[in-house]
Amino acid sequence: MQLGFLVDLHLCMGCKGCEIACKVENEVPLSTWRLRVKYVDVGTFPETKRTFTPLRCNHCENAPCERICPVSALHYIDNGIVNIDKERCIGCAGCVMACPYGAIYIDPETQTADKCTYCAHRIASSMMPACVVACPVEANIFGDLEDPKSNISKYMQQHTDVQVRKPEKGTNPHHFYVGASQVHLNPLASKREEGYNLFNKITTLPLGGHH
Amino acid sequence: MVHETLAATNAVVTLDVALPDIFWGWFVTMNMWAKSIGTGLIFMLFLLLRKNSSEMSGLRTPTIIVSFIMMNVFLLFTLADLHQPFRMWHIFFYPHWTSAITVGAWMATVFVGLEFVMMAMMIRKDKCLLTSNAIASFDKLLLWVTLLAIPVTLYTAGIMAESTARELWQMPTESVQMILAATLSGSAAIILLGGSKLSEESQRFFGVILGLSALMAFIIYMSEYIFGAMKSEEVAVILGYVKGNGEYATMFWIGQWVAYILPMVLVALSRTSGSASILKLAAILAIVGLWIVKHVWLVIPQLLPLS
Repeated sequence: MQLGFLVDLHLCMGCKGCEIACKVENEVPLSTWRLRVKYVDVGTFPETKRTFTPLRCNHCENAPCERICPVSALHYIDNGIVNIDKERCIGCAGCVMACPYGAIYIDPETQTADKCTYCAHRIASSMMPACVVACPVEANIFGDLEDPKSNISKYMQQHTDVQVRKPEKGTNPHHFYVGASQVHLNPLASKREEGYNLFNKITTLPLGGHH
Repeated sequence: MVHETLAATNAVVTLDVALPDIFWGWFVTMNMWAKSIGTGLIFMLFLLLRKNSSEMSGLRTPTIIVSFIMMNVFLLFTLADLHQPFRMWHIFFYPHWTSAITVGAWMATVFVGLEFVMMAMMIRKDKCLLTSNAIASFDKLLLWVTLLAIPVTLYTAGIMAESTARELWQMPTESVQMILAATLSGSAAIILLGGSKLSEESQRFFGVILGLSALMAFIIYMSEYIFGAMKSEEVAVILGYVKGNGEYATMFWIGQWVAYILPMVLVALSRTSGSASILKLAAILAIVGLWIVKHVWLVIPQLLPLS
């Protein structure tokens, strides 16, 4: 079994229900996110539209975070999930440097690395990840990539525009997008103006490190 | 081509989380800088042994002590940079051998252990229990420590190569830069440590190593500066931080001048004038400048948004 995620961006409406569900399920501290939805506005007024991209750990088949972790705190489990053992993590931030998707952060409460685990604890109890359950439009499709009859496999068979983020990195992500453009997937394809958040002016967070 | 430059797209991020601040900051710079001096001194001591062993007599003890201190500074800052420093022992009890961090931690530990033995030999050479001829043993051990110093110097480049999110750090380039940093700072440190104990010929020899290391490192940085942006859009954006009005442009050029350009000029001047003082000034500048150069190169890839 190799579990994977697919997000149909045609369906996503940016409600952030997945983000909140993840926060609650995994007790993700303030200022950090395992999953987040990025908004990018495209075009020039009045011809504008807003795009939504849920971003989480890609659970790569060839995960740079797993490779660089000096103590195997980041490790694969049999179903393909890249899991994290927070009791073992030494907080070197090597994984933060290695993840090309910026999906790993240092938990300010435990001072250890943390990221999306596809809700491995729920899957162990035969439940779906919290974000999948919360999505009102079923934009999050989760399942076994090795099973041709799984929902995710069928979805991938039916759609031709299945993409991953940064394929050139050779990480073989187990996280796919349907209906994505460069603006969705390439962080350099959109401007980040000072104070780019709708709700505040914070552009950087002091999450550790010394500079 | 960066998409947002297209007027038709005009894509602007309107809601996202704040970017994480710099994770590997000046503690890691201290780590790399101190290690360069620590292993560089060993390389230079070995060269001196091969070139003119008669000049070793007054240099074995101070050189090994300074190298040992710098290696401990390196280990101290490595430890201090961990968010869970009391779990450092996990590296030895749960080692993950695909990680350059693990391999490096083990090699550095062995290296410092051997340095401790060498230092003990020299400090207690009259009472040394290991051998009756401490100096001969020291020189024999120096060969093996020098060989070990090569991977200890290089492993940080391995970590940078495994940091796949940071496009600027590429393995072949970084490994050469690590070795050059060691030869630059090592030759500078031994010029300062050796002083009048070094013959004029040896001073000139280490001056040449200093000047050539500075030249080669400068060429590599300039090659990256000029041509790097052609490789990928990530590198182009990262190098933008040290170009024009970039956030780190001033610091970058201060580093290049202090670490490389001025020492090169001063080494040349010292050769023509025969002045040891000018050579020492070059050595001091190289050591100080190396810290700045390393810091800029460490920080700028971390400014790039990844998602």
